[in-house]
Amino acid sequence: MPPIERTDEGLRLQLDGQEAGILRELSKEMRLLLTADIPAQDDVMQRLFPRAHEDDDEEEIYRELVGNELANVKNEALRMVEGELGAEGDVDVTLSDEEAETWLRFLNDLRLAIGTRIEVDESKMERPFDPEDPEGPALSVLHWLGWLQGSMLEMTRR
Amino acid sequence: MSQTTVAPDRVEENATEDAVEPDKPWLVIVWNDPINLMTYVTWVFQKLFGYSLAKATKLMLEVHHQGRSVVSSGPREKAELDCFRLHAHGLWATITKGD
Repeated sequence: MPPIERTDEGLRLQLDGQEAGILRELSKEMRLLLTADIPAQDDVMQRLFPRAHEDDDEEEIYRELVGNELANVKNEALRMVEGELGAEGDVDVTLSDEEAETWLRFLNDLRLAIGTRIEVDESKMERPFDPEDPEGPALSVLHWLGWLQGSMLEMTRR
Repeated sequence: MSQTTVAPDRVEENATEDAVEPDKPWLVIVWNDPINLMTYVTWVFQKLFGYSLAKATKLMLEVHHQGRSVVSSGPREKAELDCFRLHAHGLWATITKGD
């Protein structure tokens, strides 16, 4: 049964302890990404904080304008999801539309971080699971997050 | 809604170029990537730009099959804001001056 259902109060999301545990671990990694001093040239950082302009001078003006706002948006989403995941155990939360949208953005950032780190391309995304594949675990998490995100989207779409 | 929470503070107006060439809009381009779900990309276009499901799907398929699509355009300030909102949703977007 999908862990997501629409109720009168909003989008109800139920995760067992193992699923919630994966998200807690990934949230910690996201916190590291957003707070540790990781070089801007890092592939994951470039994907999470992409350039707007090809031209260096234009990009500099844009970055001054935007400041830390993109990082702030990602931090807010992280804090919200961390709060709903809690420290341990199962998760059973009902999300408002706005909260569900924040979850969708957060799950997407997790997928971008994992997918960029293992340099996925379309053929890698379609690779069948192989226990010998060193990237198998990361790909499995990527697909599971996609399934979760896709299930939430189906329930969010009006 | 995130439309307001993700808006960057406008600390600097960069209207000079627009004033010189007011007719050339800036284009907001979304590039294909192998990670984002097609349904998610479609949803983001609908949510950010108010596009119908049909239009958002058409743009998403352009991104998917042609590698890129112009998803919005306008004055520089609007293009930059749209680009920022797309970045806040994890889409790979850039802006460029139209021809």
